[in-house]
Parts: sequence; C-alpha cells; structure tokens
Amino acid sequence: MRFQLALAACLLTGAAHAATDIDLFFPVSVQGKLANEMARLVEVFNKDHPDIHVTPVYSGSYDDTNLKTHAAIQAGKPPAVVIMSANFVREYVISDEIVQLDPLIEKDGMTEAAFMDQFWPALRLNATEDGHAYGVPFHNSTPLLYYSVDAFKDAGLDPDHAPVTWQEWIDAATKLTKHEGSTTTRWGLMMPGTYDYCGWITSGLAMSNGGEFYNTGYGGEVYYTQPSTIGAVRFLDNMVHKAKAMPEGVTDTNAVTTAFFQGRAGMMILSTGSLSFVRDNMKTPYRTAFLPRSLVNAAPIGGASLILPKGNSPERQAAAWVLIKWLTSPEIAGGWSRFTGYFAPRIAAYDLPEMKTFITAHPDAKVALDQLVYARGWFSTYNVVGVRKALEDGVQAVLSGRATPEAAMAKAQQEADALMRPYVEQTALKVPE
Amino acid sequence: MKREIPLFALLLTCAAALLWFIPFAWMAVASFRHNGAGATDLASLMPSGPFSLANFSDAWSSGHFPLWYLNTVLVCGGILIVQCITVSLAGYAFARMRFAGQNTLFALFLLQLMLVPPILIVPNLATLVALHLYDTLPGIMAPYFASAFGVFLMRQTFRTLPREYEEAALVDGASRLQIIIRVLLPLSLPGLTAFAIVSVTTHWNEFLWPLMATSSPSNQVLTVGLATFTAGAEAGSEWGVIAAGTFFVAAPLLIAFVVFQRRFVSSFTFSGIK
Amino acid sequence: MVALTGTTERPVIRTRVRGRVRPWLTAYALLLPSALFLFGFTYWPVVQVIRCSLTVRGFRGAAHWGLQNYARLFNDRHFATAVVNNLIYAAGTIIPSLVLALLFAVALKETTRLTSVLRTLVALPMLIPLVAAASLFAFIFLPNAGLLDHYLAKIGIAETNWLGDPSLALGSIIAITVWKNCGYYMLFFLAGLAGIPQDLLDAAKIDGAGPVQRFFRITLPLLGPTLAFVLVIATLNALTQVDHIIVLTQGGPSDATAMILFYIYQQAHQNFDVGMASAATVVSVGFLFALSIVSLRSLERGIHYET
Repeated sequence: MRFQLALAACLLTGAAHAATDIDLFFPVSVQGKLANEMARLVEVFNKDHPDIHVTPVYSGSYDDTNLKTHAAIQAGKPPAVVIMSANFVREYVISDEIVQLDPLIEKDGMTEAAFMDQFWPALRLNATEDGHAYGVPFHNSTPLLYYSVDAFKDAGLDPDHAPVTWQEWIDAATKLTKHEGSTTTRWGLMMPGTYDYCGWITSGLAMSNGGEFYNTGYGGEVYYTQPSTIGAVRFLDNMVHKAKAMPEGVTDTNAVTTAFFQGRAGMMILSTGSLSFVRDNMKTPYRTAFLPRSLVNAAPIGGASLILPKGNSPERQAAAWVLIKWLTSPEIAGGWSRFTGYFAPRIAAYDLPEMKTFITAHPDAKVALDQLVYARGWFSTYNVVGVRKALEDGVQAVLSGRATPEAAMAKAQQEADALMRPYVEQTALKVPE
Repeated sequence: MKREIPLFALLLTCAAALLWFIPFAWMAVASFRHNGAGATDLASLMPSGPFSLANFSDAWSSGHFPLWYLNTVLVCGGILIVQCITVSLAGYAFARMRFAGQNTLFALFLLQLMLVPPILIVPNLATLVALHLYDTLPGIMAPYFASAFGVFLMRQTFRTLPREYEEAALVDGASRLQIIIRVLLPLSLPGLTAFAIVSVTTHWNEFLWPLMATSSPSNQVLTVGLATFTAGAEAGSEWGVIAAGTFFVAAPLLIAFVVFQRRFVSSFTFSGIK
Repeated sequence: MVALTGTTERPVIRTRVRGRVRPWLTAYALLLPSALFLFGFTYWPVVQVIRCSLTVRGFRGAAHWGLQNYARLFNDRHFATAVVNNLIYAAGTIIPSLVLALLFAVALKETTRLTSVLRTLVALPMLIPLVAAASLFAFIFLPNAGLLDHYLAKIGIAETNWLGDPSLALGSIIAITVWKNCGYYMLFFLAGLAGIPQDLLDAAKIDGAGPVQRFFRITLPLLGPTLAFVLVIATLNALTQVDHIIVLTQGGPSDATAMILFYIYQQAHQNFDVGMASAATVVSVGFLFALSIVSLRSLERGIHYET
C-alpha cells in the first residue's frame, strides 16, 4: 500500500525524489463533514510542505483505530501518526510501541515541561507518563449536559437555570418526563450506554461523587467497588428505576440524538465533540451546561492525542513531528475546534481574535471551555478496553434492572483485576525478596 | 386449472412477502427523503418530500465509494479467476481419474466447507503477516483461492458430460490440460456460471475477514466501508445518509438478481454451499 | 430437477496413448494448486491454532507449554455466556427460518407471475451483505422513532428498546438473521419440491388424502435430503456469521448478544489474548469437524442438485 501511495504522490507532484510519505490515522465520524474537513486540512499542509506528503486515512471509531494501529504495528507497517483516543496512550507505553517525544521536543529547543505547559493542565495526565511526553493533545472533549429550552419551559423549569446538583438533576428529569397512557412521550434524560461512552460517563459521575475511579499514576488499579463509584451507579439506577426519568436498558448514541432532536428527550449527556452535530440538526433552541455535580465539579477528559508509533524510519518520524506541530498550532487547532465542537487543547488558541468572536457567538462552546477547570484524566490502564468493558457490562446490567449496583460493581472489579493481573504481577507485585 | 393453494393462504403469503420487503422499501424511501436527523417522519414508509438526491451525494462524498467499489470488484474478480483454475483442475482429477488416496483426499477437501476463514481468523492473520500479505488485497483473497465447494461442483458437472469427446481427443494425442481447457470447460459453462454467481455473491457480501485482514482504508471493501457509516463516532447518524450508503452497497447484486433471476435461482440451488 | 445420486461409475480411461506421464502423477499435479491453498489456509492454520492454544504466555514472561489457556477459557463466564447465547441463537434462527422457508416454498411452488414476484421479494435479503442488513435494522429497531416502534405505536404498543434491553437484544438479532436467510433456504426447498413427482401427489389425492396429510406423508419425507442439507448450512451460518453483532451491539448489552466467534474476535483484537482466542477457536473447529463428519453424506448430496 505504501508503495501505491508513494507512486500516486510521485505522479501527482511530478517529483520523483522529493516528498517523504506519511500516513495519518484519524478517527472521526465519517459521515460527511469532519472527514472532509480533515482531508482539506491535510491538503493545506501538503501544499505548505512540499517535502512531505501526508495521506489522511479514516480508521473508524476510537476502538477501531486502536485495533487497526495495533494490528498495523504488529504487521510491521506502523502508521506514521495516529490520532489516538487519549486514554489508550498508556497501554502503548506499557507495550513499548510508542515513541517518546522528549528528544524531538528538546531538539526544538524546548523542555518537556515547557512544551506541555502550552496545553490545558487537565490534558497533561493522559499525554505524559512518568514525566515524559508520549502524546500531543489534538482535540479534546468532556461530557456535557445538553437540554432543550422548549422542554424546560413545557415542564415549568427555568431554561436559564440548568440543574447544578444531582438532586436538582433528578428533580428536573422527573418533571421533564411526560407520559401518555403507557407510553413515555418525553424522557427526562437520555445518555448513550453503549461501550466506550458508558464507561466514560460513569467515570465522570464517580469523580463528581468524590472518587478517583482509577489510579492516575499506575495502570494496574481501578476503584469500581469504592463508595464513590457505587454511589454513581446507584444514581443512574435511581434515574431509571426510581425516578423513571431515563429509559431502561442500553441506548446508543443514534437513539439518544434522534430522541433529543425530535423533542422526546428533555436532557441528554453527550460529548462536547458532538456540539456541531447537535447545532446543525437541532431545530429548536437548546443549551449546554456542566455535568451536574454530587460532591465536586468534575468531568473526565475525552478525545484524542497525536502519537508516533514505533518502527518508522527517522525521515518519516521527522516528517510526522512536523505534521503534529502544525496540527496542534493555535490557528489549526482553533479552527478544528470551531468546526467540530471539540475544544482546542492549545491554550493560545483561545487568544486568537477569531476564537474570541466564535465563543461570543456560541455560548454553548464556552460551557465546555469553562468546565475544563474541573476536568480530570481519562481512565487508562493495562488492557484498558477489557477493563473498561468489565465496568460497562456491570453498569448495563444495572440500567437493565438485572443487578444491584453493589453486586454489579463487585463482579466488574473482580473481572478487571483478573484482566490486569498479568501486568500487576510483573510490576507492583514483583518486589525484591 | 384448480388452485392447489387456497386463496387465504395465498393472501397470507402475499402479506408475508410484503413484510419481507419492508426494510428495502424504507431504504428506498428514506434515501430519497432529505429532512435531517431529527425529523418526525423518519420512519414513515409513505414517500413524502422533500425529495432530493442530497443523501446520495452526502453518502458518496463522505465515503470512498469509487475506491470501495474498485477494491470489491478486484477482490471478487481475483478470487473468481484463480478459483476457476484451481477448481477445474481438481474437479477433473476427482471426476475422471483414479489415484491412490483419492477418497481420503476428497474427505480432506470436504473439510474446507466447514472451516471457513472467519473461524480461523487468528492463525490466518499470522499467516498473512508471515507472507507479507497482511493489509493487501491479495491477502483478502488468498484463503479463498481453493474452494472445496467449487471442486465438488465441477466434479459433478464433469461427470454429467459424455466421455466420447475426451476419448476422441485423447486418441488424437491431446494432453489432459488441453482436454480440460478445450473440450470440457466449454461444455461446463452452466456449472461454471453457477459457481461464479455463488462465489461473487459470497465475497461481495463478506465482512469479518476483509475487516480483519486489512488496516489501511485504501484497502477497504464496500462492506467494511459501510460499517464505518453505521457506527458513527461521538455524534449521531443521519439516517437518510445511512440508507443511501446501504443502497450503494446492496444495489449491484439486487439489480443483478432481479434482471437475471432465473440464472441466480438455479445457481444457488444448483450449488448450495458457499 | 434431478438428483444425480445414481451416477454410475464408468471404468476410468487408462491413458496408454502417450505413456510418458503416469496418470496418477497427472492427477496429483491437477490437485496441487487447490491442495496448496487448502494446506496454507485451512490445515496449517488448524495446526497453528492448536499450537497457540497450548502456548501459555504471560506479560513479559517466557512462553511455555500447558493447558492453562483451556483452563482459563472454561472458567471464563463470558465464554460460557457466548456458548449459551450461540446455542439459543442457533435454535432461534434455524427452526423459524426453516419452517418459514418451507411454508414459503410450499405456497409459492406453482410458477405464476404473482408467485415469481413474491419469491423475489422473499429472496432479496439473501443478496445483501449482513452488514447492510444491520444498517437497515439499526433504524428499524431504533426505540420510538424507528420503523418498528413507529408502526407498533399505531396499534398501541409502547416504545421498546429492541437492541438495548438484554432480554430482547438476542431475539432482535435472531429476527435479522431469519429475515436474511429465510429466502435462501426457500430456494432449496423450491428445488426439492420440484423434484417430487406430481403423480405421487395426485395418486394420494385420489386415495382421499387431504393437503395436510399429503404434506406430512409424501412431501416432507421426500424432502428429507434437502432438509438435512439446509440444516447443515443453517448450523454453519449460526456459528460463522456475526457481522451484524459487530456492527449493532458489540456483544452487548451485558454480553446478551455475545457469540463464540465474536468472543474469539474480542479476545484476539481487543484483549490481545491470543492464547484464549486460539483455545476458543480450537473448540469451534472441533465442533465443526464433528459436524462435517456427521453431515458428510448430506453435503455431498446437496451439491448434486441440478436444473
């Protein structure tokens, strides 16, 4: 394939010797705009850098991208740059498949600390490991509460006052829920409960409930049976089975957004990365607000960082580093943020005049930015997909009324421990005798 | 002529068959109806406006359909060409020749009917990597180059042919290969066509193996591309666009089937196993 | 349509015209291309997967031989769930789709303009990829706004979370499979029905046998081989087709739609646990091996149908 690409590049530029070819794996929804915008950005980059030729390759969801990157590395054909879900970075460090960025940063005359200081503090946790940089934050998100102004008015709620605490939240959700005979014509709250989303939102609730959720410094521990997590899951359980304000079972993103657009959901939790999609498709007024809090304001970071998989030639690596710096420059990162809804990880992006104008015009985007102050790291462990799935299976069982939060989380913890066991035995439990 | 099937049963069958068609009806209606992700008449089967081709153009521009079509055609065609060679030769050997271990070999061939590549994904991927075929179109094709089903089919087809032609050719000094190519294959076209239809349908529709055997999007086939449509990342889906994308993937075979229905039906029953 | 089971073996020609090449050598040469690929992508992988399933590899530890992968597999709750789900799925897809296919075939046996249209309608789903079927059913099963709930609401049935409720999800997946495969099986039954001599049915009619009696006394027994053949294919499909699960549910919610092949896929590509994936593969290969021994006859017979 690389040969084909190279050939195509040669034919296009007419220069047989010139460009270093690199490929960029990126995971964004392929349906239309985002993929096209990425293609446009890369085109601009290629034009500005005649000695580099980047091919953008859409690689599916975050999980798919992880899978494909891993497979490509094992097959000896690593992509040059990947936009990787930020919480997977740690696993690549553990399996030694990722390039440490410190030398590249130092070559540019910067220190790792100074480099990372250019990004919002909440993002550094998932981009660094043991004081070394492995990822460069590209587009990031937090879960947001979206709510329909019309639904709020209809339910006698004040759309200028979004629920702030869990108590206000569950009360609002109850009021928003509307029945007609046996059917619910409007749910108070909906959220995606499918894999990936489910774990992310649950971790956010647990953090808001005072918890850590996972060991931020070590990839072998998660805290599923701690009171903070149990309480978070119990809250979801209450939302579904006590307040009956959220549909039972698992709802996927499509069902959630379709219901919200059709006025059949008063509130929804969705990523800030969906802002543009909601803005384009929601016909009636809507607002965004912080994820309501239990004990503290908190929201997990989501989104992705740019990483360099190991196994590429120095030329490709150097070219990839140029691309990374370009993509994360304030101008480009800011533009991508305005286009997608993800917030720009680069602090300086928000000092640009066009960004200031945009934020004034779109207060929904400002909410995401303000929430950043309370953002935490995204849980990352050894075998993170399996460890996450253990939790998600438990939460799904609770949402479906098939298990109590305590029982479900006990099982989840047990499974997660088993999955991390091989790593734990070789690290934390491997002590001098 | 008196009916063997009572009228009410026929009506019931009509209703059931129409029920079977509903997903396609929705696909057609939804892909021409351009009304965004949150409209209330999403599910209506009544064609209602605004009609436009916008969903098709959105789907076309957000996927890489030309590339996916090309890859799918290359994969199906490549598999078929090689299969035609391997199954004709082996089919002839089993139909017309006698050799030591024939029955054992035949049974060994038969095993492949069951051990389909998706089941053997883990070791087959390792083989592809070792052969430097991982993430290439030939890598998708390679496990299908031999087809036990095709061998059986050709063996059966050859057996129905009279031997006189071959015997005459043998006497004239033709080699086995010449006999197969010049004499038998032209007479076996119906069998080969049946095999071709089944083979192309199977590989056009296959998903799991091409999904796993490739990683770069430039090697994606239609089914793998379509899956990226259905599974949106963090936002939601525009149903009209999904319907249009599904239409692109399904249309070629559906159209071929309606046009060449008799040929298709006899091929599938002629054959059976994929 | 004739079943060519009675083909008589004629004596094989002994080529003495050109005695240079021994016929058996030629035969092997003709088999070689097929055998090469069969070896590389069917037999060798089986050997490999057995070897991998017996190789135990820990994190950063040295690999060694052992049965631990199997021990872990059989102790894994997810694997047990996948096996049970797969059994339910097999029964839930095979029985309804065979019964429906047979009913369709009997009802559409006569060839008229109407029946050929109806046959086409029922056969169409078999031509689209399972992934495409999944895309369509993602919308059909959408709670409330989806096609199914939209029309069910008109007869007063409330919103249902078809794919998100663990007690319904497997049933919904089964429905997709029945819809998709029924037409395919119908074609075989149509071919089988056409092979039943009409005079046999007429004679029974004269003897006073009603349509139901005729079906159970004559049609069904004579369809035996076809039925056996279709049964084998349906079983194979139930074990080897999980595309819709990958697209729609990822095995969820709470493992409700996890199948054996999906489990293998997940172990290999999400948890990167090749040992477990290989052990699970060996179990499925063993099952398929047994199935092929049992069904060898009917498979061979199935390929004998001809127009």
